[in-house]
Amino acid sequence: MALIEVEKVSKVHNPGLADEMKALDGVSLSIERGDVAVLTGPSGSGKTSLISLIGCMARPTEGKIRVDGKDVVKLPERFLTDIRRRRFGFIFQQFHLIRELTVLENVLLPLYPLETSFRTMKDTALAILHKLRIDGKKSLKIKNLSGGEQQRVAIARALVNEPQIIVADEPTAHLDSRLAQEFMDILKLCNQEGKTIIIATHDPFIQTNPLVSKTIAMRDGRLESMKKK
Amino acid sequence: MTKHLKIIDYAITSLLRRRYKSFAILAAYSLTVTTLASVLFLTHALRTETDYIMQGVPDLIVQRTIAGRHELIPVDYAEKIGAIPGVSGIRPRYWGYYYDGLTEANYTLLGSGGEPAPLQMLTGRLPVNPGESAVGAGVAALRGSAVSGELILVNSRNIGVLFQVTGLFRSESNLLTNDLVVLTDRDIVDFFGFPPGEATDFAVSIPQSSEIQTIAAKIKQLYPDTRPITKRELTRTYDMVFGWRSGMMLTVFCAAIIAFCIMAWDKATGLSADEKLEIGILKAIGWDTADVLALKFWEGLIISLTAFLSGMILAYVHVFFFNGFVLAAVIKGWSVLFPTFRLTPAFNLFYVLIMGFFTVVPYVASTVIPTWRAAITDPDSVMRG
Ligand SMILES: Nc1ncnc2c1ncn2[C@@H]1O[C@H](COP(=O)(O)OP(=O)(O)O)[C@@H](O)[C@H]1O
Ligand SMILES: [Mg+2]
Repeated sequence: MALIEVEKVSKVHNPGLADEMKALDGVSLSIERGDVAVLTGPSGSGKTSLISLIGCMARPTEGKIRVDGKDVVKLPERFLTDIRRRRFGFIFQQFHLIRELTVLENVLLPLYPLETSFRTMKDTALAILHKLRIDGKKSLKIKNLSGGEQQRVAIARALVNEPQIIVADEPTAHLDSRLAQEFMDILKLCNQEGKTIIIATHDPFIQTNPLVSKTIAMRDGRLESMKKK
Repeated sequence: MTKHLKIIDYAITSLLRRRYKSFAILAAYSLTVTTLASVLFLTHALRTETDYIMQGVPDLIVQRTIAGRHELIPVDYAEKIGAIPGVSGIRPRYWGYYYDGLTEANYTLLGSGGEPAPLQMLTGRLPVNPGESAVGAGVAALRGSAVSGELILVNSRNIGVLFQVTGLFRSESNLLTNDLVVLTDRDIVDFFGFPPGEATDFAVSIPQSSEIQTIAAKIKQLYPDTRPITKRELTRTYDMVFGWRSGMMLTVFCAAIIAFCIMAWDKATGLSADEKLEIGILKAIGWDTADVLALKFWEGLIISLTAFLSGMILAYVHVFFFNGFVLAAVIKGWSVLFPTFRLTPAFNLFYVLIMGFFTVVPYVASTVIPTWRAAITDPDSVMRG
């Protein structure tokens, strides 16, 4: 059984309104444990919509999504939150860090709603920061960091709750090639630890990276091809 | 539990992060609460002072008037008045006003056969023998009587008279005893040079309050030159003097302003794009709708509770340490009549709770409710620009 199974999924944004938009149309695919899957396709082809659904951030209009065998489509909101919290780590295109908070505070954020003590939280966060070699900047505010440093903080925040699956949307859009390489190196480490990685990107650098084990091509909201390496 | 402590911690961090906005809200809010609470404290304190006074006021006072002016009343009127059915007691009262040129202050001189109520607020004892006196806090302070144990007053024949101070009034009701000098009835008569057989007025006791009006009418019939004043009439006068009704009006007015300001502020600010994005981020990284709402709840509670408490403390200091000097101009009357008197702290827990309710609850609601819509929407919006 695959880790993620998407079955005939459609997504209509703003249904019934003037700006109604069918972003996904009958998409089916599967992602195995340990995969490094890349979603490719031109802008507007539905990549972001698809990984939002996979990451349990929204529900499909039609179709089924199973995470680790569990159908998540009809789950009540707080169970979805729980799945997001326990299984997924997100890296957003704009990083979406809170600019006036420090590095450490940002990385702690996903742990606030858990019943872990402040001490444990801090230890966990510091360990991750250390691993990503950004612990020297832990007390700096995000707005004082360079793009590459922000990227690492974003990754640290995605990893702090020990997710099974890392979801990244256009992660290299704001990075130069050296930082992009560094990013892939970090992902490689994560993958070696057994994490599944899903990246939506139209950056050829990622698409051709040897780490990638599966390429899923999208066009106009439909699945164009799915290639396993 | 740990989770909530952490959310509270984050709420405080968030407030500090937006410290200028938070501080502006806190300041404006505290100021409004201060105004509102000052009115409440002031009117309540005045009300309490009035109640103290009214405790000592007899059911009916009988004065004699000639040409519309208050005159001394013959003591032998008491016999017939006391015989009216329903009257349980009558006693003549000896009192008058004294202007002290030295300190430019007016004192009230009262015979000790008089008021029973203020006597409970006495340290020492009332005058029993000629030449003894009990004085109010204001007089004692002006004349240093507490230290010297003596008081010299100039009588109606322009002769200085020395009184021993045997008692000092405590300041539970300053308004009542501040300017008071109690002498024996005999000393009062002698000091003012009252003609023999005449008193200032009568205090009449009537146990059945429903009979007061009829008895007052009978007295007027019996002695057309008298003027009976009921306790009710006096209360009304005091109420008007203190303007506490207008104070209550002001309170209501302030409450309306507060509500309006909060609403206006809320409408004007709403949720900024940044705040919406932050809520989306929190949800995306694993915060539940309930967690986000708890965060906003604590933010609102911290702000409004702090504003409420600091407003209350400011109001308390304003009213009871500075005699409500800001509001005194608004609630006119008492400050003009009693320029030197100091308000006694009187505290009504009920008012305070009501105030707390009306400041904290609407504010918390106005922070949580706008968040609600942002918090229940799917967090996938953070995935795009
Ligand atoms: N919230 C939304 N409301 C309306 N239309 C949307 C929304 N999100 C995405 N779309 C539209 O859906 C289509 C797919 O968008 P998206 O999933 O972001 O594609 P990609 O990530 O491949 O660029 C686009 O045409 C986009 O404009
Ligand atoms: Mg996209």
